[in-house]
Amino acid sequence: MTVRDPKQWRLLETGLRRAAENFAIDRALLESHQAGTSPHTLRFLRFHPSALLGFHQNVEQELNLDYIRAHDIDIQRRLTGGGAIYFAPEHLGWELFLDKAVLGTADMTVIARRICEAAAAGLSSLGVDARFRPRNDIEVDGRKISGTGGAFDGDSILYQGTVLVAFDVERMLRVLRIPAEKLSDKAIASAGERVVSLQGLLGSPPALDTVRQALATAFGQAFGALFETESQLNPAELPLYEDALAEIDCNDWIYQRNRPETEAPMREAIHRCRGGTLRCGVVLDEPRQRLNQVWITGDFFAAPRRLVVDLESALRNTALVDLERNVGRFFDGYPVQMMMLGPDDFAAAIRSAVASVPEPVDG
Amino acid sequence: MADVRGCNVPEDLMYNVENNVWARREADGAVTVGLTSYACSLAGQIVSYTPKKVGKSVKQDKSCATVESGKWVGPAKVPVAGEVTAVNEAVSGNPGLINDDPYGEGWLVKLQPSDWEGESGALKTGADALAAFEAKMDAEGFEGC
Repeated sequence: MTVRDPKQWRLLETGLRRAAENFAIDRALLESHQAGTSPHTLRFLRFHPSALLGFHQNVEQELNLDYIRAHDIDIQRRLTGGGAIYFAPEHLGWELFLDKAVLGTADMTVIARRICEAAAAGLSSLGVDARFRPRNDIEVDGRKISGTGGAFDGDSILYQGTVLVAFDVERMLRVLRIPAEKLSDKAIASAGERVVSLQGLLGSPPALDTVRQALATAFGQAFGALFETESQLNPAELPLYEDALAEIDCNDWIYQRNRPETEAPMREAIHRCRGGTLRCGVVLDEPRQRLNQVWITGDFFAAPRRLVVDLESALRNTALVDLERNVGRFFDGYPVQMMMLGPDDFAAAIRSAVASVPEPVDG
Repeated sequence: MADVRGCNVPEDLMYNVENNVWARREADGAVTVGLTSYACSLAGQIVSYTPKKVGKSVKQDKSCATVESGKWVGPAKVPVAGEVTAVNEAVSGNPGLINDDPYGEGWLVKLQPSDWEGESGALKTGADALAAFEAKMDAEGFEGC
């Protein structure tokens, strides 16, 4: 292994690319970093319109293929975990390739927090109040502006995030497999309350270079690093990139975990209680008896407004047997005001949705 | 039952400490492989598990399964080479078993080793393993399970 300078990083700008190329670069850089032939790197990247799955996700369970095909949107699988996202040319991606020594810890939760706090500081320097929200989001006043995820190999890590510079909420919703009801005007407005772009906050979108500069400055400050700018992969990385591209730029890779839509049905129910009406939807992983996703709307009073978003986020991937315990644990640590409504109502609403008859799967 | 900084490290298993994995030779010659409790503590709650398919050969220190926790994805690397003879269906159904019982029900794969005698010698066990984990935790600034 070569000795790497922990303070001298490469700033790599790889431009607007197809998703397969972007993720082949990810693989090449992570592998080469692990082999000691890549420096620590901050990479900025952009995508032609793409639907990007988390590493363990299934195309048919997550994406609206009819819409994606009709609009010439790429599908690719990330190396990193988490959920499916829509990535448009007006979004900016950032990535760090580092080792655990630079980060001073091997604890994955701590690593994610340190990197996200630095990214949040960078976005804040643009004039918004961006903060890290555990486990993996950066938000402004309860609205997500950047989602993140990581991959590791040995001591090397890849951590990546998005920045919504400008944002088309309806398109995002249509790319993902979500119930038709969530595409009503009201539902789109409600999704718009949970996600926000720099344009939405600042009035006009900042230049991409301004955003890059802000992030680079913040990462440099957080980790004491200086940057040398490059636009090409190094000689060790290029052949790895070609190999990776050959492997992932095909349907075998994209559809590799093709579990059918029917194994992850969407279910919805309405729960009425003294405090109001809770409308709850779930995507249930039936073989694993686990909640892939939960969403809650309805007519009830709970403050702060972001309570519901945080609860949905906390319940992702909850095993059904742990549902009540996890709901209870969430409310134990959360300052909340609710009117005639309790944690039990949320758990009951989710249980009703789980027990309901699945919505028919769209052809 | 031995522990290092609160992490259970059974002294009868064989470890590749760097890769944070264990191996156990079974009576029938197969080798069971899993993550250590230290690895689980670093990862947090594991939510996905994708093993290599039965019949696949895996070289030493290469990935036999990919796991995901808190949006992190990474490989579990086998301590010895071999052919995958079994994957853990219970863990497929409930990946959290890896955290709950990393040395028991949460095993990752079983292998038919191709060179157990040759490769297992470099693995650590007993007091050597405990000392090596202590050193690793110290280097990684780990406070405890």
